[in-house]
Formats: sequence, structure tokens, C-alpha cells
Amino acid sequence: MRIAAFLPELLRHLFKKPATVDYPFRKLEVPKDFRGTPYLRPELCIVCRACERDCPAEAIEITAVGDPAEKRFSMVIHNDRCIHCAQCVDVCPTTPKAMQIDSLFEIAADDRHKLKKDWVYVRAVVKPKAAAAVKAEPEPQKS
Amino acid sequence: MNFKIPIGPQHPALKEPISLRMTVEGEVITDADIRLGYNHRGLEKLAEDRNWVQNIYLTERICGICSHSHATCYVQGVEKLMEIVPPKRGLYIRYLVSELERVHSHLLWLGVAGHEAGFDSFFMYTWRDREIVMDLLELVSGNRVHYAMNAIGGVRRDLDEGQKAKILEGMATLRKRSEYYFQIGANEPSFVARIAGVGMLTKEQAVALCAVGPVARASGVARDVRKEDPYAVYDELEWDLVTSDSCDVLGRVVVRVKELLESYKMIEQMVRRLPEGDIVAKAPRRPKPGEVLSRYEAPRGENTHFIQSNGTDKPERLKVRAPTLANYPATVVMLRKGFIADIPLIFAAIDPCICCAERAVTLVDGRSGEETVVRMSDLRRRSLARPANAPAKGKAAWPF
Amino acid sequence: MAVLKTFLYLLVYPGLVFLFAYSTFCEWFDRKVYARLQNRMGPTHTGRFGVLQPIADFFKLMAKEDIVPEAADKGLFNILPAFGLAVVSTAALLLPVWHFSPVVPSWTSFSGDIIVMLYLLSLPTLILFLAAWSSTNLFSTIGGARVLTMLFGYEVPLFLSVLSPAILANSWRLAEIAAFYQARPLLLLVNLLGFVVAVIAVQAKLERCPFDIPDAETEIVGGTFTEYSGKKLAIFRLTFDVELVVASGLLAAVFLGGFPGGVLLGFVQFVVKTLFVIFLLSLIRALTSRIRIDQVVSLAWKVLAPLAVVQLLATILVKGFLL
Repeated sequence: MRIAAFLPELLRHLFKKPATVDYPFRKLEVPKDFRGTPYLRPELCIVCRACERDCPAEAIEITAVGDPAEKRFSMVIHNDRCIHCAQCVDVCPTTPKAMQIDSLFEIAADDRHKLKKDWVYVRAVVKPKAAAAVKAEPEPQKS
Repeated sequence: MNFKIPIGPQHPALKEPISLRMTVEGEVITDADIRLGYNHRGLEKLAEDRNWVQNIYLTERICGICSHSHATCYVQGVEKLMEIVPPKRGLYIRYLVSELERVHSHLLWLGVAGHEAGFDSFFMYTWRDREIVMDLLELVSGNRVHYAMNAIGGVRRDLDEGQKAKILEGMATLRKRSEYYFQIGANEPSFVARIAGVGMLTKEQAVALCAVGPVARASGVARDVRKEDPYAVYDELEWDLVTSDSCDVLGRVVVRVKELLESYKMIEQMVRRLPEGDIVAKAPRRPKPGEVLSRYEAPRGENTHFIQSNGTDKPERLKVRAPTLANYPATVVMLRKGFIADIPLIFAAIDPCICCAERAVTLVDGRSGEETVVRMSDLRRRSLARPANAPAKGKAAWPF
Repeated sequence: MAVLKTFLYLLVYPGLVFLFAYSTFCEWFDRKVYARLQNRMGPTHTGRFGVLQPIADFFKLMAKEDIVPEAADKGLFNILPAFGLAVVSTAALLLPVWHFSPVVPSWTSFSGDIIVMLYLLSLPTLILFLAAWSSTNLFSTIGGARVLTMLFGYEVPLFLSVLSPAILANSWRLAEIAAFYQARPLLLLVNLLGFVVAVIAVQAKLERCPFDIPDAETEIVGGTFTEYSGKKLAIFRLTFDVELVVASGLLAAVFLGGFPGGVLLGFVQFVVKTLFVIFLLSLIRALTSRIRIDQVVSLAWKVLAPLAVVQLLATILVKGFLL
């Protein structure tokens, strides 16, 4: 048992730079696979509703709009309910995936309704044999 | 002076709400009464409304520190029900994240023990080193807490060479720092004076009261699920079970620091021996009907999940028994004959994760204040009557 | 004219305004050193390097709601913070540094002022106990009992070790003690053991770690300060800051050779020497963990008091041989 066993370590720290990152004036880089907020690439979506079914937080809502023959759908992603698990990305069956996730994490807002994103689009048609890198046939609608 | 001191539900020593009512004479505690239920969220009921995939994320959120423990325990059980065997590479990655979580949890605990004892410098240093592990976990899984690495049948993300090199680098730094903390913990006189001889729990008491985890191992009881019932990869790695004979808080500190060193060994072995192959096996949407009990060694002790399936895509029943719940009776015994000044240390030494342990069984009538104990069958009857009035899933009326 | 000058002395320099500014500066220094020892940043953004942070904390507390518990003894509860501030500010006036005339060393210096200062420094402890008792809160009562128990531990070593240099210097007047050691700086080394004991005892008096038992946040919520909020808490915290300045000033005057050099140079020496003592106090604060109340008393009587007596013996021997 030594008195002041900690002392040399303490004094050494007087001369080191602090370990704190001075956020928000300095920020750290997030790694490549960071799970930020999900978003849709509407030209690839085939409306299989797998993401809506598997979302743990019921944060994805897909509804048909307008004339059923046109096959137009609206997807709303409720980012205020989202828990950033990226299960929707994992379960999306298209290649390349229609649900993607980005690296944004500074998404705080003071009104939760501002955090909802929506897209209105026509369902993509995937040719049976051309599964890789297919762009949708009908032109996508911008919301 | 013989009076009752309420520690909690809100108290600076506790990170979560729990009520400990101590009867004290002077500075010596004569009795302790633990009341739970302040953090009850109804998770077991929620689990019955969600399908097997969504439940991975629900069980993960039982606790923040041991999130991967709960998710892995659940997924192990579901894989047994679905009769699928994950590929070797997937298992190695899953348990690599488990050991990283154990490292982060023990470093967190060391800091909290230091803070409860008033040793703030130790707290700051251990949490600074914990940042290394948190950054590694973010690199591997995409998030610092709630890693969501598990998928039914394996893991969701793979490990590449750059990540493996970073993990080995991090472990080398941490090993040096942990050995230094071991020195400090054993040598700094004011710290040792606070934790030696405090919170005694003999070996017989530990076995009789069903203590689990480092609390039991510090009293000489050599029980660890990873050694008794080696699941997946633990029988392929070389590591030792850590026990201590001092039966007090100092023993628990020693056990946790030595477990840190063992975890570093295991992580390095797992990274170096990572086999090639797939990371996930295809899982069906519906398992066959049946029940399974899944055991897992969380950083705090033995975690058990009981899962029952009736052949649909939602579980019939999920029952969680977290390790802290098993340690509460031992805590009451440890608190008797202690000083008031030791309450935070004794309570922190069991590494309480109070929200893991919230399974309330006593109903208190809000208006009259009287308490009744309700049987499980009664609770079940009441809960089954409720969904008849609840809206169907997907059409819930969200208020916003 | 003399009345106006007295008012200026009492209110501006070295009175309340100066003490407020200097004690918040000392608190900033203490927090910054403590943070740097722990590899953190400390106060950074309020003012340059965070110097204005303690002042900001004070004004924030002044603006908060002031709640008085129903069962508390209202008269005592309300008056005690102001009383505490008055006591330590009076003690600050006795430090041998306020030179206004080069001939007469200080205008508040008289024979026996070291004893008066030590007694004035004991009063905040009693005020803390009364504050705890009048709060009628369970946690405060325990905190108050602990405050008094600690008083039985550290008072005797503190008194013995602070009075030993006075015995060697053959005077009870702070200015004369300082002048004695300025003339013979080597004799400061005789008091080294007393300095160590005094630093530890002062840490106990100021209730900082390892002796912050009455205010142990993780055990008894706020201890003596549990029920205080708003303006009263701000004044109590200011009292502790001023006590820090006074205690370190006392140690610097007695053990480090005082503050020679007239008005300006003496003031600079005052700042440097008190900051050195505060650095030592912060180092002890970062180095150790909180010890239990029974361990404090046993430490004080088994270690500190015998060392103080040894220091006293050494002083008497040196005095006999030298003078």
C-alpha cells in the first residue's frame, strides 16, 4: 500500500492535451457503416411492404394513393419514431436496395412533425431475369 | 436514533429508480427493504405483439449497458426453436461483440465504483479508456450503444481487415491501462480503506441466496455459464474462470478487473482465428411450436430467457430473468451491519442494472394505498382480456 | 472622509467586491487544475478560458427559486448564509496583505490576530451544523452530525501546526510572523512537517475530498445543503470560496513567508502564494477517494495530531538552540 500511488500519473496529465473533444466546435468523424437516418430511393421500390412489416417502431407507412390502376404509392418515414436499427435496409429485397441509410445524426428538431419525410411515386417494375442494377421503367414522380 | 432512511427512488447514488428503505441506528444499518417496479415498462407483454425479427430490437432495449446480452440470449433461443445453426463466422462475430460489451460494461462499472467512493479521478480515467471500446463498437456495428448486430441465424455485418487491425490495437492499449488500474485499485490507501471488508457475503450465503455473476465469483463460487454450458465458441477458446476469496467489494473489483484481462485474451483469439464463410443462415418466418430456455453470461451474471412459440410469427410468451434480480436477496444480507457511508458502494458492487430486473409482482392500489400480491394466472387473465379492446396492429392511433 | 474611506475598504477593496472577484478566480483555478489532472477540459467557454464560469454559476443560482421547507426553523434557516459570508469576509480582512501605507504594515493587524483568524475559521463549521439542524431534513441531520464529528478530528492538528511557526517567530501577530520569516528564510524549512499537516487539516476544514463527508453527494444527497436552493445556496457557495482564499492566505502567510514588498509587489506575491497552496489542495482532492467518518477521526488522532506535536517539539528545540 503506497501513499499517493496515483500521483505521478496525475501530474503527467497536467501536461497532456485533454481527452475531451470540444463539440460542437470540433466534431469526430463517424465510421463508414454508421446507422443514421433512413431514406427511400423511390425509383427502385417495388412496394413489397417488407420494411413496413419488420420495422420495430412502426415508423414506415405505405399507402396507395389515387387511381389503383396507376399503382401510385406514398411512403412516409416517421423519423421521430425511428430507432435507427436499419432493419428496413436489411430486409429490402431489391438490388440495389431501395431503402438506404445515411450518416446524419444531428437531426434534432423542436417539432416532431418536421421530422417526417414522404415520397409519392409509382411502383417500380423489375424484369424477372435482370435482377442486378436495374433502373425502374416508368418515370419516378418527385414529391 | 432508530429511523428509516429512504435511498431512492430518486437519489444521486442510483442511476435508475429503486427504493431501498434502510432502518438505521446511528450510522449502522439494521435492516433493508428493497422495492422494485419504478421502471416497469411491460416488455414481456410488448414482446407478444411483435414478430420474431422486431423482438430482437425490443429485447435489446431492455437495458443499455447489457443490450447485446439480452438480444443474443433471445436470438439463441429463437434459433433453437427454428432449428437453424448459424455459420461459424457469424458466431465468432456475435461473441466477439459480446466480449467487447463485457469490456465496456466492466470499465463502466469500475468508474461508477470510483465515483460512489468519491474517487473521481479514477472514474474519469476508466471512462476515458472506455471510449476506445465504444469507438471500436461503433466501427464494427454502427452505433455505440444498442449494437443491433444480431439477426436470426447469425449477424448482420461482417468484419473486414481494417476493423480487425483496429480491434487488436485497441486491445493492446486497454490491456496496459487495465493492468495499471489493477495496481491502483489494490494500492491507493483511501480507496482500499473504503472497499476492503465492506459488503461481506460468505460462500455459503452466496450459494443459498442464488447470487450470480461476479458477486458469486468474488465469494469463491466458481460458476460461469460460459464454462458450465459452453455455447457456441467458448469451448474453442483458451481462457480461465476468475474467482476471488475475499467475499467483499474489493474481491468484486479484483474479479471484474481480472475478467477484463481474460476478455482481452478472448477477443484477440477470436479476431485472429476468425473463420471464413457466411455470416448468416436463412431463417424461416415461423418456427415450430415449442419452448426453449436460453442461458447467457451477461457482464452482471447469468441471464435467462424463456421463449414459448405457438407456430405463428409472434411469440406466445417471453420471460426474462435478468442477473440483477437474482442478486437482490444477497444485497439485503450484505447491507445489514454495514455503515450508511457504505450503502452506495455495496449497492454498486452488485452492478445493478435495475431496468433489467423490473418484473413487478405487487400491486398497490393507488387510491387506498393497500398492497396485494397477485398470482401469475390472475395477471395473465387480466392481460388477455385487454387486447380484445386494443386496436389491431398497424392501425394504432398514434397521437402525433 | 475617513468614513468614506472605511466604506470603500469594506465594500470594494479589500472588501466584498474584491473578495467576490478573487474567490471566484480561485474557484476557477481549482476547477481548472482538477480538470486538467483528470485529463478533461474544465470550464472553457465562459469568458476567456472559462474564467467567468464561477461568476456565471453564482448569478444563475441567484436567479433560481428559493424554497424554504415548511418544517424548517425559518429565522435561522434564512439568516445563516449571510452570517457565514460575514464571518469569512471578516477573517479575510485580517490577512497581512492590505498595505496602504509603507510605514505601518497593515491597518487590521494587531497582536493576537492569528488566534482571532483561527477562531473565525471555526465558525463556518458551526454555521454549517446549524444550517443542517434547522433544515429538519433527514439527510441534513446526518450531514450536520458528520460535520461536528469531523470538527473533533481536525481542529487540534490544525491549531497546533499553524501555531508552531508563531511560537518560533515569538509573536502572535501575522505581520510580524511574516516579517520574521522574510528575514530568515531558512527557518521556513523547520516548519515543513507542520505545513504538510496544516494542508491536510485545511482540506478537512474546507470539506473537500477526501474529507467531503458532510457533503457526500452519492450518499446523503446534499448533506448539509440538501434543502438550500437559489440565493441562499449561492451565498453558501460563495462563503466556501472565500474560506478557500482565507485558509490558503493564512497558510501562505505563516508557512511560506508572507507577502513582502509593499502594495503592488505584496499583492502579486499574495496571488502567487495562495494559488500555490490552492494547487496543492486541488492535487490532494484529485488524488484520493472519500474516506468514512470513523476513518477521519482515527486518521486525525492517530496520524495528524502526533505529527503536529512532533512539529511543536521541533520548533521548541530549534528556538532553544537558536535564540
